Amino acid sequence: MKVSRKVLLVGNPNVGKSTLFNILCNRNQKTGNYAGVTVASLKGDYIYNGKKVEVTDLPGAYSIYPGSEDEIILTEFLIQEQSQYDGIIYVADALNLKRSFLLFEQIRDLGLPALLVINQIDQATKSGYTIYPEVLEKEYGVKVLLTNAKKNVGIEELRRAVDENLFCAGSPLFDIPSQNRALVDKIAGQTGEENLYKIWTMLSSTKLPGTQTSLIRQVSEYKETECLVPKRLQTQETLRRYEAIEKKLSEARVKKPQRTDLLTEKWDKLLVHPFWGYVFFLFILLIIFQSVFYLAEFPMAWIEDGFGALSEAVSSILPEGPLNNLIADGIIPGIGGIVVFAPQIGILLYFLYLLEDSGYMARVVFLMDRLLRPFGLNGKSIVPLVSATACAIPAIMTTRNIENIKERLITILVTPFMTCSARLPVYSIIITLVIPDKFILGISYKALALLAMYLLGFVTALASAFVLKNIIHTKMKSFLVMDLPTYKMPMWSHNLKLTLLKVWGFITGAGKVIFAVSIVIWVLSYFGPNNTPGGSSIKSEVELNDSYLAQMGRKMEPAIAPLGYDWKMGVGILTSFAAREVFVGTMSTLYSLSDNDPDARLIDKMRNDTKPNGEKVFTLATGLSILVFYAFAMQCISTVAIVYRETKSLKWTIAQLVGMSALAYVASFVVYQLFK
Amino acid sequence: MQKLDNTQLCCFPKRTRGTIVGYKNDGLKMPGKVMEIGLLPDTKFTILHQAPFRGPLYIEYGEERTRVALREEEAAFITVVKDADESK
Repeated sequence: MKVSRKVLLVGNPNVGKSTLFNILCNRNQKTGNYAGVTVASLKGDYIYNGKKVEVTDLPGAYSIYPGSEDEIILTEFLIQEQSQYDGIIYVADALNLKRSFLLFEQIRDLGLPALLVINQIDQATKSGYTIYPEVLEKEYGVKVLLTNAKKNVGIEELRRAVDENLFCAGSPLFDIPSQNRALVDKIAGQTGEENLYKIWTMLSSTKLPGTQTSLIRQVSEYKETECLVPKRLQTQETLRRYEAIEKKLSEARVKKPQRTDLLTEKWDKLLVHPFWGYVFFLFILLIIFQSVFYLAEFPMAWIEDGFGALSEAVSSILPEGPLNNLIADGIIPGIGGIVVFAPQIGILLYFLYLLEDSGYMARVVFLMDRLLRPFGLNGKSIVPLVSATACAIPAIMTTRNIENIKERLITILVTPFMTCSARLPVYSIIITLVIPDKFILGISYKALALLAMYLLGFVTALASAFVLKNIIHTKMKSFLVMDLPTYKMPMWSHNLKLTLLKVWGFITGAGKVIFAVSIVIWVLSYFGPNNTPGGSSIKSEVELNDSYLAQMGRKMEPAIAPLGYDWKMGVGILTSFAAREVFVGTMSTLYSLSDNDPDARLIDKMRNDTKPNGEKVFTLATGLSILVFYAFAMQCISTVAIVYRETKSLKWTIAQLVGMSALAYVASFVVYQLFK
Repeated sequence: MQKLDNTQLCCFPKRTRGTIVGYKNDGLKMPGKVMEIGLLPDTKFTILHQAPFRGPLYIEYGEERTRVALREEEAAFITVVKDADESK
């Protein structure tokens, strides 16, 4: 069905836009490349009255003058993509109504067609407010709807209003201050721009869009010649608008005198306490960590068995031969190696979405700001750092809400050091392989080793941030100024949906890479140089040790021997630069290709593998060296791509790649030499 | 009539009701977000908490009792006054 109407969702952060979006488009949503604080849906659609309406959820903002990357996206989209949408559904928060109106008025004054939705109306009623939409409709000349998106109240009316195209632009609300009026009129006359407010916003902006229209050129010129201080103009506008908003609201909204002690206030006494607040946060982290590693065990065992059975089944169905080998022992276990981590990633992500949705994450930012600043980070950096334990990619996109470019850059550059779930397969197998089965105080060495790896990632992230803080310079000031939303019950199923979408994306993305890599490895191991005279130079069905793969591996050996690796591990590490989790799949393929004992588990094969001189391949030193290598190396093409996209800087992307790889090499070298 | 002294928000006592008077230097160096988020002249506020080691301030303000986190250096831009009934 063709899309008959396109609408945008605009408003302050934390007004319930995602809830509204979710309930409007409950059937069809795609996760986008956006972040509010977590990656939220971008586009969705619904069908009403036989027509399809497309809804786009935009990042939240308080005014049209952008502070962060998020807000720049919003402003540019609204102004430049006017032909791309039919109307704006502006979402205001019934509990923070005054603040909601600033951006709303600005949008109206820019001549953009809109209707107003006042959401969370139930909360307002509970707090003793009565809101009169008719008064607002008269004052603003716009359709006003009251909704409670969570309980689906007012949503049908909204769909109907959209269907009836009740969007309108209106008469200007802001009176341009008299001392600037003449200039604005002059520019209007010279450029033919009819919207005076639009001219005003350009004069008050500290940054103008890059495209050089005549309007922009004129404005830039005048800004210089008239010595205008954009900040002053913005301040004037904000103050005047709020005065007017205050007046209009006093008639539209009435409050019964009532001193309700909000739940939020009560909870924050604990959650933001100088001591208990941190204890609580660590407690939450502990719960998450425990759940990820214990709850996930059942589905994981299940998945492992499932793929094992699949592999056997395929192996017996297909005719004997290399293809059988490739699929049953290469591709299937390879993909199984990723799918088995889906439960862990899913649980972690789900927790993070819930925490953020409830409003708690803002308190974590509050608690962490002072602690992170010495490292050149912002309190807001804690969110990407924690979410990177699932996957660095959405974590890096979250940095769009960090206003200061230096803080944002540093956060992006160090986030990949956090132990992501892709490293888990590698850590898991190596730890099981080389760490002894002893216990201390009831905790196994293996568990401690894993904990140590997480700590290592975190400490390295902070240390690199500190170094970068002293290298990168910017004049831009850093600030926090962050809204602390009322606590609310998270949307359990909405967040579950988001989690599943993300996990599926992760599996299919990594799955493709593994598939490709498995084939490449198989090909390189199936064919080898033909050293006997006569015939073609390529021989097929060679012994693993005579294959191209082995040759490549051996050529690498001098470089990796000081780190304690043999050629098989070398190949594993190389292929991991595409995606870390590929390591286990690669090892699986390599070990099954050289196979004398096809029924043994991979881990036993690795454990029993010996070098030509009889020594074990996987010693403690080698194992630790691999762990450290994976902790530091930038092995994920997708992350590199995202870093480039978000930093828009080839220099920093390459610096990160080279820096991390160099650190990995040196650190593994040191560790191996120390422990051997 | 008792003279009420103006101070900066960063140095204002906790759990005491106050009113915002204005901004240092008209708010020229202050992040615009401070005003956009609703910390305006004549707005009543209370500082409820502060994060340790002189971390951000947790401020409740306005009729709607909105909450915001503000660093000390950001609060330093805002000039405030104690509410008359508080200075006993």
